[in-house]
Amino acid sequence: MAKKTILILGLVLAGWVFFTPYSVSAAVIISDLENALMCKCDDKCGKVMINCTCSTSDKTRADFRKKLESGLTTEQVIQIYVDKYGETILSAPTKTGFNLTAWLTPFAALVGGGLGIRKIAQTWLGKGRKGDKKEEGDVEEVKNSSEPISGEYSKRLEKELDKLEL
Amino acid sequence: MNDIGEFALLLALATAIYGLVSYVMAVKGNRVDLYFSADKTPVIVFGCVFVSSAVLLRAFMINDFSLQYVWAYSNIELETFYKISSFWGGQKGSLLFWTLLLTAYTTIAYYQNKKKRLEVFPYAMCVCLSITIFFLLLLNFSTNPFERLPLPPEDGRGLNPLLQNYWMVIHPPTLYLGYVGFTIPFAFAMAALITKNLDDSWIRLTRKWTLVSWFFLCMGNLFGAQWAYVELGWGGYWAWDPVENAAFMPLLVATAYLHSVMIQERKDMMKVWNMSLILLTFVMTIFGTFITRSGLIQSVHTFDEATLGYYFLGFLFFVILCSAVMIIKRLSLLKSKNELDSFLSRESSFLFNNLLLLGIAFATFWGTIFPIISEAVRGVKITVGPPFYNQVNVPIGLALLALIGIGPLIAWRKASWGNLKKNFKLPVIAGLIGGAILFPIVPLNSKAELFTYATFILCIFVMVCILSEFYKGAMARMQLNKEPFVKALGILIWKNKRRYGGYLVHIGVVCIFAGIAGSQAYSVHTEKLLKIGETLEIRDYTLRHKDLKAIQQTDIKTRIIALLEVEKDGKVIYVSKPEKEIYKGQNQPVSEVALHSTWKEDLYVILADYREDMSITIKVYVNPMVSWLWKGGLIIAIGTLIAMWPDRLERRRRLERMKKQELAFSPAQE
Repeated sequence: MAKKTILILGLVLAGWVFFTPYSVSAAVIISDLENALMCKCDDKCGKVMINCTCSTSDKTRADFRKKLESGLTTEQVIQIYVDKYGETILSAPTKTGFNLTAWLTPFAALVGGGLGIRKIAQTWLGKGRKGDKKEEGDVEEVKNSSEPISGEYSKRLEKELDKLEL
Repeated sequence: MNDIGEFALLLALATAIYGLVSYVMAVKGNRVDLYFSADKTPVIVFGCVFVSSAVLLRAFMINDFSLQYVWAYSNIELETFYKISSFWGGQKGSLLFWTLLLTAYTTIAYYQNKKKRLEVFPYAMCVCLSITIFFLLLLNFSTNPFERLPLPPEDGRGLNPLLQNYWMVIHPPTLYLGYVGFTIPFAFAMAALITKNLDDSWIRLTRKWTLVSWFFLCMGNLFGAQWAYVELGWGGYWAWDPVENAAFMPLLVATAYLHSVMIQERKDMMKVWNMSLILLTFVMTIFGTFITRSGLIQSVHTFDEATLGYYFLGFLFFVILCSAVMIIKRLSLLKSKNELDSFLSRESSFLFNNLLLLGIAFATFWGTIFPIISEAVRGVKITVGPPFYNQVNVPIGLALLALIGIGPLIAWRKASWGNLKKNFKLPVIAGLIGGAILFPIVPLNSKAELFTYATFILCIFVMVCILSEFYKGAMARMQLNKEPFVKALGILIWKNKRRYGGYLVHIGVVCIFAGIAGSQAYSVHTEKLLKIGETLEIRDYTLRHKDLKAIQQTDIKTRIIALLEVEKDGKVIYVSKPEKEIYKGQNQPVSEVALHSTWKEDLYVILADYREDMSITIKVYVNPMVSWLWKGGLIIAIGTLIAMWPDRLERRRRLERMKKQELAFSPAQE
């Protein structure tokens, strides 16, 4: 039960961290716009606006300022650009509809991989334990046939192994 | 002379085909005569490609504009240094350069192994030659670097000014050395699959090749980041561009392989997995080349005439198909003694390390191809840029960072809780104290800053984990041999090069994590129009515009240099000289960034614009901790060199491990 609660809490926390938008303050609005939109210069530089140094990007930045000064919000400015150039102007897929698969698939793959590892590890662990039992059986035979292995020797062996396997 | 270059390429192709056919017939028909006939063909192919490359380089040096490629990427005024880099500046030359490296690597592998591994060697050569044939076919019949212009012009078009930077001379060859290097492990892995020699020998044969290629790919990525930082003038170093991603993915997969292969060496486990990883690494290198040369995905790095997409796509599918078929066919032979003594063991930590590394690789791959998927499914082409990769990869990266610290402190086979408590007590306390000290210092106003804070805490934790390993080992030597600490530490590293070299690499990675976190979250920038004498303030710095100069460097290049005095705490600390370079015939001037770098932060100044009245628009960034990235890279380089250094003790250790494995897996024999 405790494990499940921790898992649910962890998932909720992860969801909050990954899927809530970054905080927006007045000082970083321009940066947010530059992060959200791609440069659409004739050279097809393919850079996100914040990384772009071409002359078109300077004009676009001036346009951002103008639009924000006219009272538009960041979202409205982004929408104007999306209406003009299409979704390709956005620097990342939206978190709706089919685009959601872009965001979810890597995590789904990771969770799937994690579960796969868990299953494989359990199988290997089973084999290991069987092996241990087998070894224990051998030890039993040794025990029956000769003197018993003292706890002192076991401890020494463990210590030696610890040193070796650091 | 150009005819010789062209002929050498044809000869190389003919020889490679002959070599491949002869090797195949020799091993199939057990024909010694054919084997000896095929012998040396890899060397001859290299010789031919070398001659061809030398001829092309000569054409650049003597300004032979009768060659279309030389005309397109050079001109008379271009400095000799950059004429060398023009060689790989375009698609045709870069493909020839790739082939040159491939044949050089094949030749080295040939001399290394021709007398050692006769059962797998001919097959490995066959694989290398097959790949060489693919590249030579392209060079001879699709993208010939010796294509002539009917009327040779007097001067060339010149090299893209952005590529006229010393990092651009170093970055592509380093990256190519990494990319191409993975061909050899792939070839030996395939040879092992074909010949059913699936013991550890192929791993021993390829481990160093993988490490060398990994090293070059890692350095190539860092050099590329350096180039972007100092040349592109946007204050950053990594843009998650598809081609950057393409170089990043094989690095991640190869890293996963270098870790998981240790489990196979120690416990004879995960044979299928390791084989798949090394094959996947090679597939990723071809995928990267496909992206650069297909023009399918928009990228800054795409070559002007990216027309080879279909060839590389076909080759990619062929390689994937061959690899998959071979693994499936040999599945029964690849069965290993997969046994785990405890979930709490280093083996498990390596499994998770692989999961996270491949998780990042997959997320990057997915982001890179998602625009194509979206277009195919919805008919809408979208962009997947930095915000996507940052949001998806950062949390996985943080988990990976934690694992870098956790992994080495967990014992092989089985760790006890008591042992874990003992090993992790100090690093956890150090992380918590570090977090407490940093809490009032670092801002925590946004999610990015929160992630950065978590990264710093993890960096401290991991660093203490690793350093404690060095400390414990050196102390043990000190007590045992009565040596001074420094000597004990030196001998400890030298006698366990692979292990401690690896730890040094981890320290370098931690520095890179810290550098990325610091520079991403706390970077500030501003832009201002300044007249002579006016100032701009940013953080603790005041920049005063002193002068603007124009220098006619050559007939085609003019430099516009702004002089800005930088004051800190009322003292002038240095004069910043950002500049714009104007090249005749180029549409846009190129910015040359002025950089003042310290371990704490970089002052990064760009001359954005200038006017006739001497006023300038400057853009200034203060980027904290960027130099940690480059220093981290240097530590990685040192660590890798130590890990790669020949180690006679390693053989003895391996034999001891094998003995132990025999004892562990066949108890009934005794």
